[in-house]
Amino acid sequence: MSDTLSAPPPALELVDATRVFTRRGGLFKKAGKAVRAVDGVSLTIRAGETLGLVGESGSGKSTLGRLALRLVEPTSGRLLVDGRDVTGVSKAEMQAMRRDIQMVFQDPYGSLDPRVTIGQSIAEPLKVHGLWDGDGPQKVAGVMSLVGLDPSRADRYPHQFSGGQRQRIGIARALTLDPKILVLDEPVSALDVSIQAQIINLLQRIQRERGLSYLFIAHDLAVVRHVSHRIAVMYLGKVVEMAERDNLYRRPLHPYTVSLLAAVPIADVRMRNRRRTSVTMGEIGSATNVPPGCRFHPRCYRARLVAAAGGVPTERSGDALLPRACLIDQPELRACGGADQVACHFPETPETRSEVATAVLQDIGYPPIRPIPL
Amino acid sequence: MPHKAMPNLHSVAPAAPVAPATAPRPVALELRDLTTVFPGDDGPVTVIDGVSLAVRAGGTLAVVGESGSGKSMTFLSALGLVAAPGRVRRGEVRIDGADILHQPPERLRRLRGAVISMIFQDPLTALNPVFTIGEQIVEVLRAHQRIGRSAARARAIELLARVQIPDPARRVDDYPHQLSGGQRQRVLIAMAIALSPKILIADEPTTALDVTVQAQILDLLADLQAETGMALVLITHDLGLVARYADDVAVMYAGRLVETGSMEEVFTKPRHPYTRALFRSIPRLDGPVDEELPAIEGQPPNVARLPPGCAFEPRCTVGRGRADCCTRRPLPLAGDRSGHRSACFHEDLPDRTEAIR
Amino acid sequence: MRYFRHPGFLIGVILLTLLLIVAVAAPWIAPMSPLETDLANTLAPPSAAHLLGTDQFGRDVLSRLIWGTRISLQVAVAVMALSLSLGMVIGAVAGFFGGWVERVTVSIIDILLAFPGFLLALALVAARGSSLETVIIAVALAFTPRVAAVMRAVVLTIKPRTYVEASRAIGMGTMRLLFLHVVPNSLPPVIVVATVSAATAILAEAGLSFLGLGVQPPAPTWGNVIADGQSFLASNPLISLSAGICIAVMVVALNLLGDGLRDTLDPQMRRSSGRVL
Repeated sequence: MSDTLSAPPPALELVDATRVFTRRGGLFKKAGKAVRAVDGVSLTIRAGETLGLVGESGSGKSTLGRLALRLVEPTSGRLLVDGRDVTGVSKAEMQAMRRDIQMVFQDPYGSLDPRVTIGQSIAEPLKVHGLWDGDGPQKVAGVMSLVGLDPSRADRYPHQFSGGQRQRIGIARALTLDPKILVLDEPVSALDVSIQAQIINLLQRIQRERGLSYLFIAHDLAVVRHVSHRIAVMYLGKVVEMAERDNLYRRPLHPYTVSLLAAVPIADVRMRNRRRTSVTMGEIGSATNVPPGCRFHPRCYRARLVAAAGGVPTERSGDALLPRACLIDQPELRACGGADQVACHFPETPETRSEVATAVLQDIGYPPIRPIPL
Repeated sequence: MPHKAMPNLHSVAPAAPVAPATAPRPVALELRDLTTVFPGDDGPVTVIDGVSLAVRAGGTLAVVGESGSGKSMTFLSALGLVAAPGRVRRGEVRIDGADILHQPPERLRRLRGAVISMIFQDPLTALNPVFTIGEQIVEVLRAHQRIGRSAARARAIELLARVQIPDPARRVDDYPHQLSGGQRQRVLIAMAIALSPKILIADEPTTALDVTVQAQILDLLADLQAETGMALVLITHDLGLVARYADDVAVMYAGRLVETGSMEEVFTKPRHPYTRALFRSIPRLDGPVDEELPAIEGQPPNVARLPPGCAFEPRCTVGRGRADCCTRRPLPLAGDRSGHRSACFHEDLPDRTEAIR
Repeated sequence: MRYFRHPGFLIGVILLTLLLIVAVAAPWIAPMSPLETDLANTLAPPSAAHLLGTDQFGRDVLSRLIWGTRISLQVAVAVMALSLSLGMVIGAVAGFFGGWVERVTVSIIDILLAFPGFLLALALVAARGSSLETVIIAVALAFTPRVAAVMRAVVLTIKPRTYVEASRAIGMGTMRLLFLHVVPNSLPPVIVVATVSAATAILAEAGLSFLGLGVQPPAPTWGNVIADGQSFLASNPLISLSAGICIAVMVVALNLLGDGLRDTLDPQMRRSSGRVL
């Protein structure tokens, strides 16, 4: 790439971040099994960029978002904000970091204290950071207007607002300190369909105006596509694919990404009675019990296709015949065509793409639709 | 399609199916002018206002709407499950042509489960944590049928196999917390189909589940429907699910039907400005990315404080500020035939800010 | 406004206000001194001079009851303040910080809860001698673990709420978070418990005084009046009965207040004017 010395540092960088949760044992209880909720994840977000983070519940995407704010402390790994390593810093430096990176939560009902007026809620970050002065009220009014709230309603309580308005309040609160990075944890998935578009537009407008970087965590691939520049796909604590936006939807490399794309409900008549059960098998399983080898192998349609096609050493696992590599070796994230990365022994490259993946891509409109027999 | 005069709701003839493409099947469930009210601070609040719908045997009707639009309440009302102080003020609920709403409670209870069954959004809270899933299925069977314990248990295992729970003979003794979210929803489906109902109402059955599991659950429902010929009502906010599984669509807004029709008709030629705006506002996998989404402005209305005119008027790009939209409510839609209709004075007018599509 | 839609709450407030007025104005409204004996006129039936008659020392029962209101209210308020402040701090710290702090505190709370409160009070009286302060301290000590247990349980339900995490996300310190967001949202159920325990405190004071272990005679407490009248229940039942009624009224008033607070402090109830669905 270009000269690394002159390039600005990434707004946010996670290096090999890992978080292990253990349940403490009691007097009569055995200590619980360790859960590697986030397992050696490295990613960067450039200034002004949106990195989409997708995966099912249990994939560790929410924990990763909290690691970025150190709301959850990493078990190992490093966290860099604006090029500064903030992994083991003092409380004061942590406070300074918190001014640069803020979070918007999924639940617009639960993320506001019901006993505090929304004006106080929005002013709170300024007070906490000792920045409340004569200009405070103006700042609160300014940020309320920015997110489309009437500043004269600052003395109302959260329950007097609708879900969409409360999410605007949450966004306003995150913006009060003028941060550089926002972690958005499923910011629209609790909202009504007709409100989601309003909030997405608002977030994009704010990003354009203020040059913010977003870590956009979501499970809705259509929403993520609309807002992200790059997208990371997580599965059981690991990033399994990281790609430029259009690449991820045009040529998904990881079979899990294909499964996710196949499961997206598309509001179009040509999807009538279209079934995808063969592509999206089973459920994510528990992070306490990560399968050996590639952690996706129990659900992977592609491993079954590759094994059936022959030419690779195979092994039986339950009812399925799978490539031995998938059962034994944990694939590492590696470059696969340009800057895109995938952690898979048999990725869906354009040359080796399976018919399953081709059909899924045709369904979602890449490339332009041709009628396909089913 | 010509704009027909609204028939008088109280004098409609028994439903005559007029579906053009599909084979004419009898109407399994029909709601007529169903209206439910709750007491409010300033008098009764109409949460369901004159809803008329029909779903045929073997067919799938999707009911679409935002939270508070009344889509769930419509079917709770139809099953006589409205919690006090709410009550059904008027209307009829017909199964195979016979009204069930004015039956004695005991008879209505027998109908629920045996003839018409419902599954809910949250598969965890719908199961009792202190009983095994087998015991809960057996309880459903024994509440309605004369069947011995061991026979009921055998039937429970059979049902679990039918909803594709692996190793059902062993899992039948599991407690709900030992199952994943998707498996719990499968158990609820097993309980719902245990008595082979003619009508299954699925209220956001996959909202709490991941998309990959969602597809599996809905495919299962579609398979069961194909096997048994039951009518399926799919209550959802997800237009993508409607496209994949529904034959007919009913769109609700603020307690009223605003558009009904076949899925193809509604999706290719949406008529009501709300439906049109909804389609425009959802991000698509193949849509443009570097432009703003055409969002619907404003907030969904509070049914306790509806404007005097059309409930959608304040957010409508067609009717906002029009005299008729501000003062009169469009007539409720009658659901006795499958024509494509919308409750709008100006459905033929383009949106003022029509940009894409 | 909403408070007064709850009839029980309204009755409780009116009764307590009346009792408070009586307590404050005791020197002016009591017909005579509660201690002044009149040996010529003992165990007199109700009359114009002595509306509730006199006791075995010729003291005016009504005046003793009026002055007794002071002591009872004092006990109630002091016990509530003590057990509430101690119990809330202990419970909040245990629930919020977790870890070994919580395990130790919960063990102590459990032990104290298993220990009969009255026994604790008896032990304390034995050690310190009986006085108003001893009674207050003893009863407060018996109630503190109850408040702490409730407080901890409530804090445990508040802790995982998103707004607590959201406050951490803006960089709020632990103490500020605890006192600005966690404690205020935990108050309603704790206040209800405290109100009800104030009622029990009055009963406990009366019980201890009746046994001669509370506030020492001749001080005019309701418990002492009952104890004085006990020997004359057959001939002059009004002495004990009137004191009993006083206690009953105050306990009922406090319980009504607690019920009312429970219903009106619930944020769900406040939202009743919002959406129907």
